Amino acid sequence: MVTFQLEFQILEIQNKERLSSAVTDLNIIMEPTECSELSEFVSRAEERKDLFMFFRSLHFFVEWFEYRKRTFKHFKEKYPDAVHLSEGPSSPSIVIRSASQPGFELVIVWRIQIDEDGKVFPKLDLLTKVPQRALELDKNRAIETAPLSFRTLLGVLGIEAALESLIKSLRAEQNG
Amino acid sequence: MAGILAPGLTRTLRSLSPLAGQLLEKALGNLRWSRRTLYVQMASPKEVKASIANVEPNLAVEMSEQEVLEEKLENVKAVLQAYRFTGLSGKLTSRGVCVCINTAFEGNLLDSYFVDLVIQKPLRIHHHSVPVFIPLEEIAAKYLQTNIQHFLFSLCEYLNAYSGRKYQADRLQSDFAALLTGPLQRNPLCNLLSFTYKLDPGGQSFPFCARLLYKDLTATLPTDVTVTYQGVDALSTSWEEQRASHETLFCMKPLHQVFASFARKGEKLDMSLVS
Repeated sequence: MVTFQLEFQILEIQNKERLSSAVTDLNIIMEPTECSELSEFVSRAEERKDLFMFFRSLHFFVEWFEYRKRTFKHFKEKYPDAVHLSEGPSSPSIVIRSASQPGFELVIVWRIQIDEDGKVFPKLDLLTKVPQRALELDKNRAIETAPLSFRTLLGVLGIEAALESLIKSLRAEQNG
Repeated sequence: MAGILAPGLTRTLRSLSPLAGQLLEKALGNLRWSRRTLYVQMASPKEVKASIANVEPNLAVEMSEQEVLEEKLENVKAVLQAYRFTGLSGKLTSRGVCVCINTAFEGNLLDSYFVDLVIQKPLRIHHHSVPVFIPLEEIAAKYLQTNIQHFLFSLCEYLNAYSGRKYQADRLQSDFAALLTGPLQRNPLCNLLSFTYKLDPGGQSFPFCARLLYKDLTATLPTDVTVTYQGVDALSTSWEEQRASHETLFCMKPLHQVFASFARKGEKLDMSLVS
């Protein structure tokens, strides 16, 4: 749950035809811990005095935030040895490691972005960490093209299945 | 035309959960709570007086039960009114709930729409004030029965975007008529706009023709912009540069703000452009 404090002023002007209202001042104060992914969005809302967009986008942001938390938690519980949450339960990224392949790491960063129009959408990226020797052996440049391939995989399988397949593929080395 | 700061409209909202569903429940809950509390307190006025006396023994002021209740009611009314500014609010009806969607564009409060829901299985829309060109049936078919929160927020998105586009077009027509060389053509959904304009209204140059298409109905910025210039010297770099920069501007900033920047530039017109 996101907590914040909000102060705003509305100016209502009554002319003979109608009443028009406009927000003339908007201040949004958020806890620094929840702030990091939202800070740019909050400043933009304040600048534009867009009170309504703030609430609307915040709702969608929180939906995505909770979904990300649930998804990561699910994988952490399913594969406790392989999956690590670097920054705790609300971490925006997970690290996938395999005990049998100590030098290899896959980091999936899942950012929740809010664009100029207030639209909220996820942006996932794959980062790889491999030993130097492995890079040298990688003739097909699989590691280099991994981030791009991950994007394609996301498009085909969706977030959950894509993550599951990555975790499984790294763990497969253990058995085979 | 005097501007007045409406009394009591400066509010500090603390720790509001942003989820509309919870907001709605809370708003409705508060309404029910206040009714219950009012009845309880009216039934036992002696207890009300006694409890106030116990809590603040040093308080010499004796508020009548009437005043206490009135204050509580005012408080609840204020909270309910404040929910209006989240864009989504509601009130109980005999059949269910009437949800009010308030729209705004960049802080300018615009039209409101309502959806009257009947609490039945299946959940039903009794009546509404949503314009016919907003895909209400589609959104309802997708979400109404399974996720009412998503239904409301999705509808909010469409209505706010429509309101915002309409606002931009209205502002263009009212504030920048001097720069338009013909009528602004628009469809009811305000997602297809076509107009011609000049940066120097009195000058000899040909007008620019602009066509703005907003394919994404939940957006207030266009997805496709075409600006053409039909003048004889259309191929000259200065006109081409202007044309291209206008196209970019229309994609990036609200329509009336782009014209505001044109109007500002017009005050210092570069004579070298007019050859």
